[in-house]
Order: sequence, then structure tokens, then C-alpha cells
Amino acid sequence: MNIWEILIFTIIKILIVLTVMLLTVSYLVYFERRVSAWAQNRLGPNRVGWEGVLQPFADVLKLLLKEDIVPNVANKPIHTLAPVIALFVAFTTYAVIPFGPTVTIFGYSVPLVVADINMGVLYVLALTSLGVYAITFAGWSSGSKYSLLGGIRSSAQMISYEISMGFSVGGVLLLAGSLRPEAIVESQYGWMWNAIVQPIGFITFLVSAFAETNRLPFDLPEAEPELVGGYHTEYSSMKFAGFFLAEYANMIIASAMIVTLYLGGWRFPYLENFGLSSTMFAIISVLTFCIKVAALLFFFIWVRWSLPRFRYDQLMNLGWKVMFPLSLVNIVWVAILIMVFKF
Amino acid sequence: MAVKKRKNELTFLERIYIVEIIKGLSLTLKNMFKPKFTMKYPEEKFIPPASYRGRPVLVMDESGEERCVACGLCSRVCPALAIEVQAGETTREKERYPEKFEINMLRCIFCGLCEEVCPEEAILMSKDYELAFDRRSDALYGKDKLLVPISQLKDRIEFLRGYK
Amino acid sequence: MPKLVIDGKEIEFKQGQTIIQAAKDNGITIPHFCWHESLSVSGNCRVCLVEIEKMPKLAIACSTTAADGMVVHTASEKALGARNAVMEFLLINHPLDCPICDEAGECKLQDYAYSHSVGESRFVEEKNHKDKRVPLGPYVMFDGDRCISCSRCIRFCDEIAKDPELTFVKRGDRVTIVTFPGEELDNPYSLNVTDICPVGALTNRDFRFKARVWDMSANKTICQGCSRGCNIELWVRNNQVLRITPRLNEEVNSFWMCDHGRINTFKFINAEDRVDGPQLRKEGALAKVEWEEAYNFAASELKKFSKNEIAFIGSPFATLEDNYLFAKFASSLGSKNIDFIRHTDSSFEDDILRKEDLTPNSLGAEAVGIKPGKDGLNLEGIIKGIKEKKIKALYLIEDDIVAAYPELEEYLANLDLLIVHATNFNKTTNYADVIFPAATYAEKNGTVVNFQGRVQRLKPAVSTVETDRAIDGMSMSRLDKFGTQYDKWAQGAKYDAKSTWKIIAALSNVLGNKVKFNLAEEVFNEISKSINSFSGLDYDVIGELGAKSKLQTSEKIVNA
Ligand code: SF4
Ligand code: SF4
Ligand code: SF4
Ligand code: SF4
Repeated sequence: MNIWEILIFTIIKILIVLTVMLLTVSYLVYFERRVSAWAQNRLGPNRVGWEGVLQPFADVLKLLLKEDIVPNVANKPIHTLAPVIALFVAFTTYAVIPFGPTVTIFGYSVPLVVADINMGVLYVLALTSLGVYAITFAGWSSGSKYSLLGGIRSSAQMISYEISMGFSVGGVLLLAGSLRPEAIVESQYGWMWNAIVQPIGFITFLVSAFAETNRLPFDLPEAEPELVGGYHTEYSSMKFAGFFLAEYANMIIASAMIVTLYLGGWRFPYLENFGLSSTMFAIISVLTFCIKVAALLFFFIWVRWSLPRFRYDQLMNLGWKVMFPLSLVNIVWVAILIMVFKF
Repeated sequence: MAVKKRKNELTFLERIYIVEIIKGLSLTLKNMFKPKFTMKYPEEKFIPPASYRGRPVLVMDESGEERCVACGLCSRVCPALAIEVQAGETTREKERYPEKFEINMLRCIFCGLCEEVCPEEAILMSKDYELAFDRRSDALYGKDKLLVPISQLKDRIEFLRGYK
Repeated sequence: MPKLVIDGKEIEFKQGQTIIQAAKDNGITIPHFCWHESLSVSGNCRVCLVEIEKMPKLAIACSTTAADGMVVHTASEKALGARNAVMEFLLINHPLDCPICDEAGECKLQDYAYSHSVGESRFVEEKNHKDKRVPLGPYVMFDGDRCISCSRCIRFCDEIAKDPELTFVKRGDRVTIVTFPGEELDNPYSLNVTDICPVGALTNRDFRFKARVWDMSANKTICQGCSRGCNIELWVRNNQVLRITPRLNEEVNSFWMCDHGRINTFKFINAEDRVDGPQLRKEGALAKVEWEEAYNFAASELKKFSKNEIAFIGSPFATLEDNYLFAKFASSLGSKNIDFIRHTDSSFEDDILRKEDLTPNSLGAEAVGIKPGKDGLNLEGIIKGIKEKKIKALYLIEDDIVAAYPELEEYLANLDLLIVHATNFNKTTNYADVIFPAATYAEKNGTVVNFQGRVQRLKPAVSTVETDRAIDGMSMSRLDKFGTQYDKWAQGAKYDAKSTWKIIAALSNVLGNKVKFNLAEEVFNEISKSINSFSGLDYDVIGELGAKSKLQTSEKIVNA
């Protein structure tokens, strides 16, 4: 493959991933509304289109038509920049996550990942920490006390949980011996998923992922009872939609990351042994990946509609006194696995 | 009410959250498959019980005339000032009748005080809750829209008498 | 002074007073139906029964003369029991049709049923029925069922109107009121019986069913029907005057007013023919214009005439303030031709209230300068001048000269300029080149002087385009307070009219004479400063009941 061909394939992959992401994000909102309704013995949106399937488009249309209000005291450039950062971070992170095996199309072998770079996991960690800027910027630039408090909480929360997140990933990296997401997926052959091999790490990562995406029970930055809308109190129209979409995109990324790091990525256990054609193999792999991600997304939603929000001190306690030590324990456990059981 | 002593010591299991979280999750999961309460409104209609307070209507008795004598008490008691009554003189036995009787359905808060105060049992709360308008002026209901034959209001009258 | 004790409170009284009167003078009201301060005592309703120590039986407070050292209980067990029993008797045959009755809300029987009755009826038999809806006269309707036979109406006709027309017939529970054979209740004061009737047995045919009393606001002002200037209240709902009732002023009209004043002096306020906005004659037809345009046009036209070619006619219907500024305006133009039209009818006068002079303010108009200056033309001269075309411009406020002098009709068209301030279109406005819409007496602040030389206040009761009930301090009913522009019952017609003095002040300013008044009160203050007869008076001194000016009059005391 020459450079041009690589470029063309990469652009095509980017387009596909972007479209799928956007569609998923909008349907995720719809899905969340339906699931929450079911959990509360309601029906949820079922009017626009068959069973409400066109609801996301109606929502977007509505948001597009809304007046964009910027507070007088806001720092306008930063106020505008914040949702852009949020969206940018959310969508670029996805570049390194593999959603299938390497396939052969028209004689070219193409890996099903936008950018197969050898420090992919670091890239993800770096970008997600960038995401906190979007929220702090939004909170600070709005010139409103609610937004500011939301922004500050968010940075504190993200910093605290990034640590346990990082240490949990450490365990995975030790086992895979590489920072390449592809390699990590490869390392979880058969049922040797990291979630099974290092359950403590899985749980700490999962919890940290909830915290990093600001989802309930950790949605303190936008806690309505005390902060109105938190950092996006002063946002309206498409800028608000930007944050909204970013939140859901982050959910997808978090799910994809969890799948990649702990749930075997696109791998269907022992699929290699079924003797399928390479095309079938690729299709089933991609489907597997999608189903795993979908299941996790459902889990995210399910948790949101079941658990109450933590108090701020509980959140910090949990982060520093429980999650952080647990992730250390996990690293020790992995070390034992490697040294004693020769994994 | 008996004062319940608040439990402030959590057990270990409760403190590590896991069990409680699983309990919570299973509860919501169970509920996802239970029957839904939502009524699919325009297709399925809610038929309220006699105690329901829908829009106020005027009673048209068997002779096709209103019972109202335009005493203006409903208009006086109405906390939302929704009712306008203009009395007129007739040759009927009750000398007085409402030349004009108008309820502004945008103002009405369906409190039922008009019904309660009426000395003639002439204004009643109906079961009609479908009130949507394109224009403010459409919300002004005159006698033409307010008068309802007494036969349609039987159960409300019975309900009220049961409480007097 | 002798003293007696009522309910533990020691009060002083004048020798010969009844207990009820003595109590009333000291702010204690003993319940009563048939007793009325201005009527003779009949003592037939029995509701004023009180317990007097050392008397064997309860006594009626209205006919028992107070004596020194008496101890009276109005709320003792016995007194209350008796009152309760009387109320029960009264209510036995009463139809209890308050929902249909116009008196509801100002009915004594209703009030006392609340405060002095148990609220339960033990009477299960058929109530007896009497005639309903009997027109007793042109203005009064009678409902026999509701009558409690207090005889107030009969006594009023005999004693105040001096025209016995009513009487009781039959006995016991069948007793009822009728007019004497061949008579009608048509004395000029007949409607007062509707005020004094404690129940809704006598109602005003002109007002019947028009509105509930609690929906209206009562606005204190002065009747414009004649120079008596009876103190009245205008009852207003939705910016419309619906009825007039008299208000107590012992110096002027006591409790009463005449039917003419009550019926004929308010309908024009909301009539179809109100002038709404200034009008200019353009190509023969009147057209509504902006105020500015009308002022500018009138000012530039007025400048075209020499002072002897212009005549001014003031108005005894306008207030002191209006006439004062009008006279000032005339003299600022150098004109001495100024007078007003007198409206009199000697057949109208009687020795009760009605006066021959049919205008409310003729004394005042003259006093503030509506009279010809030295060598100026008086009304006759002005009329002659118009006929001889010596007067080319006429400025007339709030009057209808054609109605008063029909022969003038053909000459008015000859005038080069006719400026009229009018509340309603009339025969004179047909010839006007400029019409300024004048606010009616119900729409403005001002003062008038009655035949006794008494200065009395007019207060606005109806709002115009430029006034607002709340801001301009008019009395407000509940509907006024809470209505919004979207409520039909708060959207009553408002006319674009202004007080004459305001129009004159604006016109003077256009002509370059600075006149700076914002309130009628300021104009009055200038009057009281510059005209000796009014010195020492201001709106506060005049108050609700008026104050005497130093004008010379042929005073006759009210004989009511
Ligand atoms: S209270 Fe009853 S009788 Fe009176 S006006 Fe209202 S509806 Fe008519
Ligand atoms: S229901 Fe209440 S608000 Fe509505 S008209 Fe009757 S009194 Fe007024
Ligand atoms: S009509 Fe009225 S004033 Fe006359 S007797 Fe009867 S209750 Fe009294
Ligand atoms: S006597 Fe004169 S002032 Fe009094 S009510 Fe009659 S017209 Fe009016």
C-alpha cells in the first residue's frame, strides 16, 4: 500500500466511524429515554415515527431552531470554544479503538481501526483528560456561579478518578505487554478476558469510567438540585447540544474502551476454531464488538435510572480511599499472576 | 405519626455499596417488564369518575332553558375571575336570566368553587378536559358552548347531593 | 348633659332623643329596619328590641325616649333572643330569593340574617305569596313577597316628598303595599324609596338587573342636574356608569336626590354620540385628527381675528377650573365678549331640593370671570353680533347654543370660525370648525358652586384614554383591580377626551402664553389665591362634603 491508498482508506474509515458515532449518539439519547421510561413503568417517546424512532431528528431540529443565548458577562470566545473542545475530544478519541480484525478488501489488507498506533492507550488517557478543559472552560467562561461550581467539581472529580483509572489500566498493560489496543485485544484470547483475569481492575476501571463520563451516580458537575444545570447552565441551542452529544459520545468511548481493555474487544471466544471464511469472521467480529458495546451502554443507562447521586464527600472518599487502593491491589495481583502463574 | 429512629450506622455490606447497588439494579430491571401505566391518549380516552372537575358547564333543564338566574355569585367567588355574567329580565317565573354568561377557559383553574356556591345548582363541573385553543378569543365560552342538557350531568348531580 | 349606659359604655345624649338615635350619635348601631333618621318613628319592625334595666319588658329602642341613668343592653340574652325571634318571623314568608334580587349585597335583611339569625328555618308550611313585579310608578318596581312591611316608603312619600301615594292594605301576613286608587308613585323623588327600602321590595326599574352591587365601584361626586348640587355616588362597572345614588350631606341634600338627577344625568357619558378625539372640519366634513394638529389649527385660526371679532361663551356645566382658564384665555386674546348661557326652568323648582337653575355651576362660572368685560358684549350682544356678522369667530365650551337659541342655527354657518368643546355631538357641533372632545363631569377633577355658594368636588369615576383608574386615584372595584387588557369585562370603552381646562392650557401654550398646570388642583389653588370669594379654600378643605365660599347668595336652607 502506498501512502495515497492508506490515506484513502483512512478517510473512508473516519467517515464510517463518524457517521456510526453520530447515529449512535442520537439513538442513544432516544434509547436512554425509552429505557428510563420502562424502568418507571412508562412508555417514553413513541410518537415521532414508528414507536418514536424519528424522535432524535425531531430533537436535533428543535435544538437547531432554538435561540442561541450567550450571557452578557460571558467570555464569548471561550464560551463558544468549550463545546467545540468537548465534541472534538469525544470524537477523536475513537480513532485508536479497534472494532474488528484486519480484513482484506480488494486485495488490500485493512485493519479495522482508524489509527493503529502503538501508544493508543496513552492517547486515549491523554485525550480524556483534555475533556476536562471543555467543562472547566464552560464553567468559568459563563460568568455564572452555578456553572463555575460545576466546572470546579468536574475538574476535581476527573483528576481524582484519572488516577485509579490509570492504575487499573496498568494491570492490563502489564499483561498485554504493549500500549497498542490491537495487542491488548490479541492478548485476551478465548475466555481469558481481562475482566475475568483481573476483576478488581475491571471494577475500578468501570467505576472510574462512570466518573470520567459524568454519568450518574457521579454527575455532580451538573447536579440539578443545587447547581441548576452545572457547567452548561448558561448554554442553549446547538452549543448546549454540543455538550449533550459529547456526553453521550463519551459514553460510547468509555464502553468501547472497556470492551477493548477488559471484555476481549471484537473477539468472539474461539471463533478462529469454527473454520469460517475470513469475511464471515470479520462480520461476526464487528458484530460482537457492537453487541458488547451496546450491552455496556445499556448498563450505563440502567445504572443511571437506578442509583441516586453521591454526595461530594462520598465521591471523593470513594475515589481516594477505595478506588485508588483497589487499583494498586490489582497491580499487585497482576504482578503475582505474571510472576507466579507465568501468564 | 410515630417518629422512626433513623438508622445511622450502616452495616459493612451496605458500606461497600455493591450489594445495595445490585439490589437497586434488579429492582429497576424487574420494573422494565411490568405493565405500563401510560395511557395512549388521543386513541385511548380517559373517562373520569363523577368526582372529576373538568370544565364548568351550565345546566340546561328539561324545558331547554338554563337554570342559572344570573345571581353573579359564581362570578364573585371565582378566584381566577374567569366568569362574566350579565343579567337580564325575562317574563319567566324567575324574573332574571343570564343575558350573557361567559367563562374564560384560559383563566379557569377548575377549582369548582362556582359549582359549590351556586344556589340554583345551575353550574356544574363536567368531565370535559379537552380544552385547547388556537386563539385567546376561542377560550371565551359563551352560553352556546356552556349549556349542557341535564341528562348528561346526572351522575355529577348525584355525586354532589351525596356530599351535601 | 344627661347620660345613659349602653352595653357598659356610658354615652351622653340630648334631652328628648330616642335610645336608638343617642346610640347612633355615639357610633353604636342598634339593628333596625323601619327606623330612619329622617323619617317619623313607626316602631313596627320590632328588631330594635333592647333590654332596659328596671323595665319589666323589652322595649323598642327607636321609640323609647332616653332618660338619664338608663342602663341598656343590646346584646343580653333576652335581647338577642327577641331579635332572633323577630328575624325568624320576618323570614317565615320571605321568599329568600336573594339570587334574583337586586338588593342582595346591600340588603339589611340579608345582613341581619347573617349577624342576628340562627340560619335554620323551622317553617315547613307553604309560604304565602303576594304580587310580584308590580310597577308602582314610572321608575319603581314592587315585589310584594319581599316586603317586610316596615312602612318606610309610605312615610317617605308622606313626609319627605309631601305627596302621599302609598299605603298598606289587608292585614296580618297578607298585608301589602299599594298606591292609592288612581295614583301612581310618580312624585319627583320617587326613587328614594328604593334606597330606603331595607329589602329588595322596591327596585329601580332603570337599573334592574344591570349589575351586582359588589361588581361596581362607588365614586363620590356631585349631581349635575340643577344648582342644588346633590351629593351623589356614581356606580361604575367596566368603565360605565350604571346608576346614581344620593350620599348624605345634611347641608345640601340630606339623604335624598330627585329622579331627574338620578335618571337623566349620566346616560350621555356612555352614549353613542360621544366625541372621541379632536375633530377638524375638512372639506365640509368632520375628520378625527391628532391633538397637536387640532391645537395648531385652532391657534393659527384664532390669530386671524381682531379681538372685537371674537366672542367666548363659557359654561355653567363646566367646572370652576375650566371656566377660570377659559376666561383667562379670552382676556389673553384681548376679548371682552364673554358670557355664558343660563338654563332655567321655574317649573322645575320645588321647595324640597330641585332648583330653578338647571346647571350645577352658574354661580361659579360667573365668579371666575365668565361675564362680559367693560364695554364687552354679553350673551345677547354676542348673539346679535353673530346675526349681524360683526362676530366672526366664536369659541364655545360645553354647551349647545343652537338648542338654547334655535333661531341661531342659520347664522352659525356664517361664522368664519367656530371652536367647540363638547362631550357629545349636538346641534352646535354640526357647524363647528374645530371640536375638542371634552371630558364629562364623571371623567375629571374639578369643583362646582351650588346655589348656596357651596364649593363641591367632582371626582373622576370613568377613565378616559389619558387617565387610569389606579393611577388617577378613582375608586376601584375588585374587577378593576384584577382585570387585564385581555378580559372583556375590563375593556369598557374609553374616550379620547380631556378636561376643558387642559385643552385651554395646551392651546394657550401653542399661542405662546405659558400656562403650566398639571392638575386641576393647581388651577383651583390659583383661583383661591386670585379671587377673593374663594380665598382660604383648597381641595382638602372642600373634602367630600364641600365648603362654603364667600359668594353672596340668596340662601335657602334645605327643608328636607
Ligand atoms: S351562581 Fe349559579 S345561578 Fe348564580 S350566576 Fe352563577 S350559575 Fe347562575
Ligand atoms: S372552576 Fe373555579 S376558576 Fe373555574 S370558573 Fe369555577 S370558580 Fe372560576
Ligand atoms: S316596600 Fe320596602 S320600604 Fe316599603 S314597607 Fe315594604 S319593605 Fe318597607
Ligand atoms: S335636586 Fe338637582 S342636584 Fe339634586 S338630584 Fe335633583 S337634579 Fe340633581
